[in-house]
Amino acid sequence: MKTLSLPYYAHIYKMILIQDIKSKMSYRADFFISTIGMIFTNLSSLAAFYITFLNFPSVMGWSYHEMLFLYGFSLLALTPLQCLFDNNWSLRNFVYRGDFIKYCFRPINTYFYFISEVFDLKGLGQGAFGLVTLIYAWNKLQLPVTFLIIVQLLLALTTASLFMIAIMNFAAATCFYIINSGYVMVTANKFRDYAKYPITIFEPFFRFIFTFIIPIAFIAYYPSLLFLRTNNIPLLTWLSPLIGVVFFYLSYLFWMHGARNYTGTGS
Amino acid sequence: MNNIIQLTDVSKEFKVLNRREGLKGSIQDLFSRDYKTVHAVNHISMNIHPGEIVGYLGPNGAGKSTTIKMMTGVLEPTSGEILVHGRTPYKNRTQNAQEIGVVFGQRSQLWWSLPLIESFKILKDIYQISDVDYQDMLALYESLVDVQDLYHKPVRQMSLGQRTLSDILAAFLHNPPVVFLDEPTIGLDVSMKSKIRELIKALNQQKKTTVILTTHDMGDVDALCKRIVIIDKGTMLYDNDIEHLRSFFGAYRTLKVKLSKHITDYSEEAKNRAIQTMEELITPQFPNAHFQISAEEDWVNILINESEVELMKVLSFIQTKNKIYDMQLDEISTESVIKKIYEGDGGHEPA
Repeated sequence: MKTLSLPYYAHIYKMILIQDIKSKMSYRADFFISTIGMIFTNLSSLAAFYITFLNFPSVMGWSYHEMLFLYGFSLLALTPLQCLFDNNWSLRNFVYRGDFIKYCFRPINTYFYFISEVFDLKGLGQGAFGLVTLIYAWNKLQLPVTFLIIVQLLLALTTASLFMIAIMNFAAATCFYIINSGYVMVTANKFRDYAKYPITIFEPFFRFIFTFIIPIAFIAYYPSLLFLRTNNIPLLTWLSPLIGVVFFYLSYLFWMHGARNYTGTGS
Repeated sequence: MNNIIQLTDVSKEFKVLNRREGLKGSIQDLFSRDYKTVHAVNHISMNIHPGEIVGYLGPNGAGKSTTIKMMTGVLEPTSGEILVHGRTPYKNRTQNAQEIGVVFGQRSQLWWSLPLIESFKILKDIYQISDVDYQDMLALYESLVDVQDLYHKPVRQMSLGQRTLSDILAAFLHNPPVVFLDEPTIGLDVSMKSKIRELIKALNQQKKTTVILTTHDMGDVDALCKRIVIIDKGTMLYDNDIEHLRSFFGAYRTLKVKLSKHITDYSEEAKNRAIQTMEELITPQFPNAHFQISAEEDWVNILINESEVELMKVLSFIQTKNKIYDMQLDEISTESVIKKIYEGDGGHEPA
């Protein structure tokens, strides 16, 4: 038996991705309209953000530009989720219609096969938006640009993405266990809106929840301390890449366990 | 290895929640969990040889899909042992998947938005098919069906028939030793059905692929399967040659004769008279045989069990006594035999 190694999976992923993008591009109108929609969504939430800060110069010691930093950072961190893991949104439909079984007949990892199937181009627009916002905030805050900081930023973004993806994995995989899991998805998706805010604005109770139960604080808050509060970086920030990997792995196990269970009953 | 698929005393049970009726019942269900065990498959054993096409039949809910899912490694049997190509499918799902092909009814496994040829290319890489084997396979496909027309058509835009065809081709692409086809001709028109049957037959012959086929269409069975396995309510009812099936239920054939040239009188009375005349004619001659005689329009039908008396003897005897203007022979169709089995009529009533 040939080993199903990382290069093998990378190659398959590339194949599927390129094909998917090619076929998506052939629907030009759909592509442009959804991109424009995405831009408007982001513009309007940015406008709401701006108006709030016209009235409050700072929130719990966080300045407008620092908040903007968080905002851009969280948008960027969400981009991989949006682009690469969008099929999780369709999971429940596959499961309820019984079509999920087709993912079980290939000699490759079920989770990989399922996730690889869809690439959402809209996410790129959102990523670009986040990048511009982040660079703008970065400039205004006069943060340094060094090689080390860029590496830290990339690592922080990766970590944040892992958390976000893991949360959505957990939420999507609930459809293997319960009916009406759509609400879980929507709720989990709502949580990521809170990711844009420093968790110090929440009550201690919610701070605990957002750190240890639904760890959205790791999506933007903890990583951003690395750049914004350089003199006082908590331990959790340093641990976050590790926690992120563990959390993602747990979500993967939960997902796969669900997939196995599902095929145990469905017809 | 003699058997490519080996099932030994395989059972599968599901636990199903006993749901109560009404809103009150639903609330009770929330708190007490009253499970019942459903035996989807009950102690099934069978051995399948390489290169066979086996028809796996049974009414809806008989446990066919459950068995197929166990053989493909998607489901774990509750008890018993399954070996497919020397492997336990459930324990080695990914390796097993490399050596089987599956087509599951109307559920396409191809990439919905991709043209067929692109799907093939991805499958080539997933199954790590060599360039030579891949080209050979495509050449074979092209010689069997007009697949070139489909290459550049996205699966989404295909008709059901084209999609089924594509799915079957995709299942054979990596030249697996075993292919499972779950109702491959469901919902297809007559000409597409025969096209697909011919394709399956050709691939089976050329590639020596073992094919397990579930279907409700006896046309599929007659065209493809030498051997059939019938299950109902999870229990195996029959496992043997299709020829044997007919004799198993009695070697019945119907002889239809027309004894007068022009009959204008189709009344019940005239029919009864014709039946009675025939009975008086042949019963004394063949005392050991049990005939069932009926009449319709100007035909007299005699159902003959050939294990009791040969049909040709009856025919030639009638001819010595009466002028026969026309005659027909009706075989008992597989369909009516299977119907009998499903309805649980036992083995000795004629259709």
